[in-house]
Amino acid sequence: MSDNFEPRIVGFLCNWCSYAGADMTGTSRIPYPPNIRIIRVPCSGRVDPLFVLKAFQEGADGVMVLGCHPGDCHYSEGNYHARRRYALMHRFLDFVGIEADRLCIDWVSAAEGHRFAQVVAQFTAQVQPLGPWNGLQRRRR
Amino acid sequence: MSESIQTALRTRARELLELGEVSCVIGYERSPRGRVRPAFIYEPADADRLVWDNTCHHNLMVYLHDRKTPPRRGEEVPRVAVVAKPCDVRALNVLLHEGQIAREKVFVIGVACAGMCEEGTEELQARCRRCRERVPIFYDALVGEPPKVTAVDEDWADVVELEGMSAAERLAFWTREFDRCIRCYACRQACPGCYCFECMAEQVDPLWVGIAIELPEKAFFHVMRAYHLAGRCVECNACELACPMHIPLSLLNRKIAKEVEALFGYRAGGDPQTPPPLATFRKDEELPL
Ligand code: SF4
Ligand code: SF4
Ligand code: SF4
Repeated sequence: MSDNFEPRIVGFLCNWCSYAGADMTGTSRIPYPPNIRIIRVPCSGRVDPLFVLKAFQEGADGVMVLGCHPGDCHYSEGNYHARRRYALMHRFLDFVGIEADRLCIDWVSAAEGHRFAQVVAQFTAQVQPLGPWNGLQRRRR
Repeated sequence: MSESIQTALRTRARELLELGEVSCVIGYERSPRGRVRPAFIYEPADADRLVWDNTCHHNLMVYLHDRKTPPRRGEEVPRVAVVAKPCDVRALNVLLHEGQIAREKVFVIGVACAGMCEEGTEELQARCRRCRERVPIFYDALVGEPPKVTAVDEDWADVVELEGMSAAERLAFWTREFDRCIRCYACRQACPGCYCFECMAEQVDPLWVGIAIELPEKAFFHVMRAYHLAGRCVECNACELACPMHIPLSLLNRKIAKEVEALFGYRAGGDPQTPPPLATFRKDEELPL
């Protein structure tokens, strides 16, 4: 894949931790890859796996689901549900041909500005060599 | 063997209807064209329409979906009897667990099952060769003797084969398969686990799945449907058998079943006590993400 391919990444960030964490990254002026397009959701438990699949079909090359660390969920247990859901979804998407490396689920707290930048940079670097994703989409005629 | 099961089924059905224990017996009958089809018996005199052989592969639990509400407001939900193989009973177990139907509204005529055959052959279906239980886990009446068969060990060979391919090959495989789908939804209609009033595939606000019969819509439907059945699919294969396009839906379902077993140590419908894996969690579990 060409070295200047810039993956398009959709990030579902929970309002209470990861989104605030991303804010912290910004206010602390920590640089992070501009590849991520952030969608704010109330909780990682709100991220229906169909959001992820839809993102892949609408042009995302990689999808991140970021939530509060286990034990810190604003709604007590949303991220525990997300953890189970995506442990399974990860393996299933790989089975239908969407490489496991294109999906990331991780935890970033509101105080972890540095960690947010790190997680995004790491994931961008991971998706980059895979090249653009254009499977299971509408074919150009 | 199937002769005696058939006789016992008819006797039991007639009895239940005569005593007024149930309003209807759901079983199998032979269609005018010779194939076995689902039958709904309301009169004792009709009980002799019931048949049993190795082509009674339909999962009749799906017909309970229409019978969980009273026919008219204020009336009682009628009690029905249903002929159930061991795999069907696991599907019923899922429905009971999800509060879809009350146990006392169903009379389970369990059948000890020697396995179902591939259409037009005497060869057992793959899922029946692998089957781990030949007698339903629960029933109100049992028909037939537990057959003497040695179940082969589950080796997930079909799933493992696909897992061995590269991601690109898998994508090509599924693109080819999904593309043949005509979106008739026969798979969904045949599935005991698909009872949503409004399926995500037909929801219009928000419109998750467009109305086009194109690859993205079809792929979306299949991936999401299989996922909705995670930890709930009992591998009865009703979906695949109903599919007019012979799409290998069992591969999708079995991949998920395999991972559910590996991740959560859970098998759908086997145990009425444990909640389905995606409806619960353990705080201390370590899951590979
Ligand atoms: S998805 Fe198919 S195999 Fe699974 S329960 Fe539904 S009909 Fe049966
Ligand atoms: S595919 Fe999903 S939304 Fe549709 S009926 Fe089945 S479980 Fe419900
Ligand atoms: S039954 Fe077959 S063709 Fe019809 S919607 Fe299901 S997979 Fe597609």
